[in-house]
Amino acid sequence: MAGVCVIGLGVLLLLDATGTLELRFAVLAPAACAALGAILVASGMTRPR
Amino acid sequence: MRVRTYWVPGFFNEANPESSTRYTGTSSSTSKLVRPLATPLRVAATAIRASPRGHSQLAKPLCEGILEAMNETTQELPPEPAPRRLVRVQSGRVIGGVCAGLGRYFKLDPIIFRIGAIVLVFAGGAGLLAYLAAVLLIPAEDSVGEPAGRNRWLVIVGVIVLLCITWPFLLGGGLLVAGLLIPFAFLVAAGVLVWWFVSGEGPAGDAGDVAKRAALGIAVLCVCGFIALGGAWAAAAGGETVVAIAVIAAGVAILAGAFVRPVRWLVLPAVTLALSAGAVSAAGIDLDGGVGERDYRPASVTELRDTYELGMGELIVDLRHTDLPAGDVPMAIDLGIGEARVIVPDDVCVATDAEVGIGEARTFELDNGGIDVDLEDLPEADSGVTRLLVRADVGIGALRIGHAGTDLDLDQGHFDFGPDGDQSLGRNLACAA
Repeated sequence: MAGVCVIGLGVLLLLDATGTLELRFAVLAPAACAALGAILVASGMTRPR
Repeated sequence: MRVRTYWVPGFFNEANPESSTRYTGTSSSTSKLVRPLATPLRVAATAIRASPRGHSQLAKPLCEGILEAMNETTQELPPEPAPRRLVRVQSGRVIGGVCAGLGRYFKLDPIIFRIGAIVLVFAGGAGLLAYLAAVLLIPAEDSVGEPAGRNRWLVIVGVIVLLCITWPFLLGGGLLVAGLLIPFAFLVAAGVLVWWFVSGEGPAGDAGDVAKRAALGIAVLCVCGFIALGGAWAAAAGGETVVAIAVIAAGVAILAGAFVRPVRWLVLPAVTLALSAGAVSAAGIDLDGGVGERDYRPASVTELRDTYELGMGELIVDLRHTDLPAGDVPMAIDLGIGEARVIVPDDVCVATDAEVGIGEARTFELDNGGIDVDLEDLPEADSGVTRLLVRADVGIGALRIGHAGTDLDLDQGHFDFGPDGDQSLGRNLACAA
């Protein structure tokens, strides 16, 4: 899950760098919150016991 | 309190010769009963104990019924330790006996408290105030080491006077301590949480373990800070593609690690890199153009650049002395971080299309600020009138476009907020109604 989220953020950056997408805070902020939330959820689910 | 203890030796107990039983009581009647018999019976019991013939047969008829008197002992239990009292001691004191009393109370060398008090005296006088308060509040010991009586009203009046005198210092000291402690507490909490996320080790264990994890987490935070700076700088310098590929590669490694060997530690640096570069891209920060202050005063339209570019700093385009032709005159401003000002003559109409990542954009009477700021003002101009088409892109900072003779005018020697707390940039009156 965390890997997928990081890849998603990287793809977002790549789209902005290539001009396909205009990255703005209105896009980045929800994407970042969603990615961080998913990573935290995945981290909690896979925490070593 | 006098407590009487009766030991019934085990050799009088046939069932369990090795055991003894202890009775403790304060019954005065029992004491009166057994005390006269105690000594002769103790002698007899000693003889029985030493007898090689076996003690049970001899002892039982001899001592049955009065076993409890055999080993009567009267003893003074060790007195309960007196509660520790914090007093200002007489012996070994230097001034008021406060530090010596603290040393005795905490079983530490008083020099520790003296050094602390002196340090606090030089730290805004808090040590002096604390010492005075301690003299008032901590009772002095008398000649036998007990707290001496105090005049209650004298203490109350003294404390009130002390508070009246010192409340500004106390408030300032409290704010100073809070100002230091609260950020430190946040830092420690962040360190613990980060280490918890990175390693899975929560804030359990003793204080040493928690402190160790907080320190490791803070170290990870520092590393992530450097990664964020590097990612932001790379993205602002035009290396966003490289950063994006690095983030994707890290994500693939994390994904693969989930099936082979988890690389949990890689998540935080990868996310930090992605978000820092993403923030720079979202703000539109471009460090092309250098850093510093740029002041352009073109004299004619031929000297007017298509794009005025600055990475970080202050960018001024002063068009007051520029001979601008009638019709549309395009001009672009690209500023990464900082402030851009455009000063135009009164007879020039200005059409603006501006984007500011984080900050403010102002053109004459229009104002917009915040995040992802868009300001579009595209008025028409009559024929024969110059219309300056300004397309501005500011990452973080401010864009201001106004007329000469306003607060934007540098030649007036000021660029300050007006008396009403706002800036006057003039009015865009050259445009068609």
